[in-house]
Parts: sequence; C-alpha cells; structure tokens
Amino acid sequence: MTMEINTDTVAQQDEQVKSSIREKLHIQYSHAASRTLLFAVAGVFLYIVVSMIPMPFRMVGILKFGLLPAVTIIALVGATRGSLAGFITGYLGEVLYGLLVYNVVVTMTLTAVAYGILGLVVGFGTYDFTNGRSLAKLSILAVIGFLITILLTVVIGIGVEKYSLLTAIAYLMLPLVTLGLPTLFFLTPVLAKLCFAVSEKVVSLSSYDPTE
Amino acid sequence: MSNVVTRNKFIVVAFVMTIVLSGLTFGNLPGQPVPPDIQVVDGIVYNFADYAAVDHEMLAIFNYLNTLVSRDYQGYGEWDGWYAENFHGLQHYVIAFMAYSVSFLFETTSGYRTAYYQNFLYDLIKKMNTTMEEWGENSIEYNEWLHPDYNYVDYYYPNDPNDTTAVYTGGFRGPANIMWTGHYALMMSLYERLFNTGEMKDEITWFMNDWENSLTTDGRGNPQDGGIWETGLIPCEPYIVFVQCNSVPITTTRLYDSMYGTTYFDSGMWDYGLDFINNVMQDPYDLFMDGYYVDRPTSLYYDQSRLPPDPRGPAQSPYADGRPKVSSYCDAWSLAFLDYTQPEETQRDYPIFKDLFLKDVSTDMAYIIDTYNNPQGFGTYDILGTLFSMHLANQMKDYATLDRLTNFFYSIFNKVWSSDGRMMYFDASDLEPFLTPVASFGWIYGHSSYTIKDITEARSAEFWDYPYISAADDSSIWVYQAVWDEHKNAFILNIKVDQAATLSFSNFESTPTAYISGLRFSELVLSGEGLYDLILSPGTYQIVIM
Repeated sequence: MTMEINTDTVAQQDEQVKSSIREKLHIQYSHAASRTLLFAVAGVFLYIVVSMIPMPFRMVGILKFGLLPAVTIIALVGATRGSLAGFITGYLGEVLYGLLVYNVVVTMTLTAVAYGILGLVVGFGTYDFTNGRSLAKLSILAVIGFLITILLTVVIGIGVEKYSLLTAIAYLMLPLVTLGLPTLFFLTPVLAKLCFAVSEKVVSLSSYDPTE
Repeated sequence: MSNVVTRNKFIVVAFVMTIVLSGLTFGNLPGQPVPPDIQVVDGIVYNFADYAAVDHEMLAIFNYLNTLVSRDYQGYGEWDGWYAENFHGLQHYVIAFMAYSVSFLFETTSGYRTAYYQNFLYDLIKKMNTTMEEWGENSIEYNEWLHPDYNYVDYYYPNDPNDTTAVYTGGFRGPANIMWTGHYALMMSLYERLFNTGEMKDEITWFMNDWENSLTTDGRGNPQDGGIWETGLIPCEPYIVFVQCNSVPITTTRLYDSMYGTTYFDSGMWDYGLDFINNVMQDPYDLFMDGYYVDRPTSLYYDQSRLPPDPRGPAQSPYADGRPKVSSYCDAWSLAFLDYTQPEETQRDYPIFKDLFLKDVSTDMAYIIDTYNNPQGFGTYDILGTLFSMHLANQMKDYATLDRLTNFFYSIFNKVWSSDGRMMYFDASDLEPFLTPVASFGWIYGHSSYTIKDITEARSAEFWDYPYISAADDSSIWVYQAVWDEHKNAFILNIKVDQAATLSFSNFESTPTAYISGLRFSELVLSGEGLYDLILSPGTYQIVIM
C-alpha cells in the first residue's frame, strides 16, 4: 500500500515537473506551442533582417563601440515567449542568416548554438514590462546570456575552427563585449517597453467598440 | 513629468544611454550606392545600371592617395604618410598594387581621362623608379635592393665566385630582380594602356627583350630550355623564383602583345615557366608553392636552416619539416594574375585554395590564413593574404566570400574623412600605420568593377577615337560613371558637382547635346579646336551626351 502511494507520488511529481517545464517553454498546450513557434519564426525573420543592416561603429584604439541590435531580438523573443522560442530565434536566425546572405554554415552550426543560448538564458526569467526592476532583471539576464555566448564562440573558434587567439580576442571577443553587452543592457529593456506599449495599444484598438 | 521619470528611472537611463551610444559611435557606415537612372532619348533606352560605376568612397580614397603620390604634394623620393620605415622591403609592392588598384578605377570611368588621373599614375611610376643617385637612402633602389638587410648588389649565375664562366645577371634593373622589374614594367604598360602616350614604350620593350633573352637562352645568346636558370622563370632576391613575381611579367607580356601586336607570348617565351609552375612548383594539394631556389642564396635574409637540401629545390616551410613553403598571398596573387593566361587552372584551384586557407570567424566574417602549415598564427602575412584574396574573390565573382573577407578586414578601421569631405582613408594606425595607405587602396583593389584579368588586354584601336573628358575642374567633381557606349553612340556621365565646374570633351565630331531624364538639357559649347565644354552647377547628374 505504502509502495503504491510512493509510486503515485513520484509519478505525480514527475508529471508536475514536466508540466512546469512545458509551461516554462510555452508548449503546455498545442495552441501555446503553435504560438511559441510563431514567435520564434517572427524572431528568426527579424534577426536576419536586422543583421543585414550595416551598423555604425567607432574604433577607439582596439575597442569597438556601437550597437549590435540583432542580438536584442533574441533576448526579446526569449523574454516574451520563453527559452525555447529564444533559443530557436538565436540558433535558426544565425544559421539562416549565414545560409541566405553568405551561403555558409559556420563551424557545424556550433556558433549558432552559442547565440541560441542567449535566448535560452533570457527565457528562464519571467518579466513584467511595466516594472523597472523587472526590466533591469531582463537586462542583467541578457548580459549573462550573452557572456555565455561570447565565451562559447571564442572556445568554438579556438577549439574547433582553430584560429589564432589573437583573432579570437581582437576580431571576435572584444567587439562582442564592447558592442553586444551595452546593447543588450540598454537597448533590450527600451525595446521591450516599446513592444509592450505597442501591443497594449493594438489590443486596446482591437477591443474598441464604436457603438458603445 | 518628473513623476513619470521617477517611476521609470531605469528605462529612462537605458534610453538615454542607447542614444548616447549610437550618437557617439555614428560613423563608418558603408557608402551610398551610385544612383542609377533610366533614360529614353530618341527612343533608345539608357539604363545607367548597365554601366560600371565607381562609388563615392573610392573617389575619396583616390583623392587621399593623390596626397601621397602627386608631385604637387611631395617629391618622388619623399614618403610622407607612407609609414614604410620598418617595411622598406614591402614599399615597392605598395606602390605597384596601388598602381593596379587605381588602374581598375580608371578603367571603370574610361571616358574620364584628365591630367588628374594621368599625372597620378605617371608620378607613381616615377616614385617606383627613384634611384640611389638622386634620392639616396630614400630611393626605392636603396630600399628594395641596396639596403643592408638584403644587400643585393651585382649577381652572377651560377652563384660561384670561382666560376669564371658564370653569367652576369645584373643589379637593380637586371634580370635577377623580377620582383621590381616586373612591377615597374607592368605599371608602365598599364599607363600606356590607359593613356596611350607612347612615352614609355621603349623602356617596356627593353624589359620584354631582356626577359625573353633570360627565359630562352643561356644568357649569352645561345638557346637553352628554361633559360638562364633552367626553370623558365626569372628569379629575385636573387636566387629564388616565385610564381607570384613571375605572374606579373607574364601579365605584362600578354598586355604588351595585345597593345603592340607582337608575339612574345605566342613565341613560347613563357611556355617552360608555365609548365614549371604547374607541374614542379606545386604543393601536395596542387596549389602553387611559395618559392623555388635556383641556387644557394647569398643574403643573410634567409633562414639558413630552412634551405632545401640541394641548392636547387622548393623553399621549405618554416613551420613543418619536409613541406614546401606555401602562403595565401602567393596563391591569391598568382591565381588572379594568371587567370587571363590559364583560366582553367584558376577555376580548378580557387575552391581548393578556399578550403585550405579560409577561416570562418563568424557567420559574416572570415579571413585567409598565411599558411595551412601554421593555421593558428596571425600576423602581417595573414592580413596580406586576406587583402589579396579579396581581389581574387571579386574576380571569381564570389561576392559572398568577398563580403565576409571585407567584413573581417575593415571591421577594425575607422574611416577618416577630411573636413571638406573630399578625402577619406582607413585609419590603421592603432594596428600598424603602414597598413593605412594599404587598407585604403586595398578597398579599391578588392571592390572595383574591373580586376586585373579585365585590363590584361589592350583597348580596341577605335577606343581612342571615342569622345572623352580630356580636361575638367577635377577638384570640384565626383565622376561615378563616364564611358562612351559604342553601340548606342552616346556618352554616359554620372557625376556629382560640389562647385560650378566645366568639363571639356574631346573627339566629338559635331556639337553634342546633353540630355537629362530624357529631356534636352544643354548643348555643349565649342571652346577650342575639337573641344566642347559642359558647364554644370552644383548637384548630381545622370547625363546622356550625343
């Protein structure tokens, strides 16, 4: 009898964990999964489009300053629709950007995985876009996620692609640090707030009944 | 208002910082493409997109290069802004490849041939030919040949002081210095190809005869397979033959024959050499190796421990025992220059070259390693390899690779514009000042509408009768497109004018008329014998003149 109760409890706990993960990934129901997929597809599209826009920059010594807005798309999708959508946006966005624009798949898509991790990490949190503290949390998680991205791309570059340490630092790591981190910290919450305001406006307009 | 700010402190700070970041760093954006136009004049369609164009940045870079080269700014043996003190052995290459780059640019606007362009190339040739006698240690003769680092003076073959039968192979201008003579002769040949003055023909002819003698005889006039050095190639440094250095006189020979109707190439002077580079000077992947000794070198420049076991043989890799020396700059340069003469070889080798030398840095960036024997190194020759490969990729119409190499190469340089907006250069001073002029003309070298293959052939005889701009207020205009369309008998001009400017056209047989947007704009004004002027006020114009 006791054994049966314990087995039931374990099964229930397993189910709760799975359900919680599914909820976290926004795939608990089929329509939720579809919506997550839709967000990811939109994110991938936006990521490719924004990546194609040449961005201004300024070199100060060996440090490169400017904005890297494409990475905020990954963070935003992760923040609004969870880790899975964020990961797909980063991973597929990077893979398809390479294929469509440069006709290449870089390092067996491992670099793309690194970009996916950014979306994955940001997606772990839940955010209230009307709350300053929550937006600050988004900034911090985006920065943490991107630090992992940078670390992975450098490790992949040196370990798998096998280019020089100097190349990895000067042409990859430093620009990603000086462009990507400030962009994610400052631009992501601004865009999140903007997206939220726009979506609120759209919702209020769509629910407006002129006969009332 | 203050409540709103107080309640949204973080977002306000983030917003302000985003503005500050983007504002302070606003620069280095790509130049705007040249606006194309479609016009219909007398029922004939003129689509400006059908004609090659030079972009605004290339012209601004040219204006900057002019300050390094023109006699209006500095003497032929003066080198302000070249930063070549520590790279004296590379200085003549900078001059040569700058000449090739501007030749691509001049070819693009072949109907714009004023003294501004012509004098630039003339002065560059004079800089290349600066002598010890006139300019001392500031001369190219000193820096490329007599410098104590190299101490190449007079040479004999074989390299044996006790051999009284050895052939004298000359000094700076002699046949043992193809790394200078080849470039110098090609620069002069391109000058004649582009401006048809005849002034330099005799000097080029002297080199042609000297090379033919070196390649087909024993140096004393007796026929000998493979010439003096029995490789069919001409050495430099001075006991080593390189594919890349010989690709330059091969290009010169093709161009010379094409311009003057001679048959140096068809007579077979390069047959032995081409066979030698395609069958002997090959690495394990059938790409060109970087150097083949024809005798023991005398200069201390060489690492004595990396010489081949026999006096004659492949240069050895500094990184891998028993392997030939290979380098990306050698292959990229050679494949591009030899593409006119043996296109099937370049087509076959290019994908192999990319497989072995191209390194992916990210999706949008890649670079070319110096050598696959040292894939994790990075230095001057990796940068040069990338630069040379941009031109090759452009010539192969592999624009995706070109873009990725460009994104890498230029990702760390600021564009610096002059206050009047007429000049621009890429500032490489934080990495290595020597790279500043190199990166600047390198942009033209890698991105021009025309490449070395296109200008290895002479212009048609009729070309010199086509109408062209022979004089202009060059410092007030930007000429993006200027070409005579021989099929439609009209001159295509795409131009931006900063200040009111006059353009003088030669070779029109009667008073021409300019059309804009298909409508009559103005008739050109006769201003001298056979000269017709077009006066333009500030603005941007796409004009058809007929």
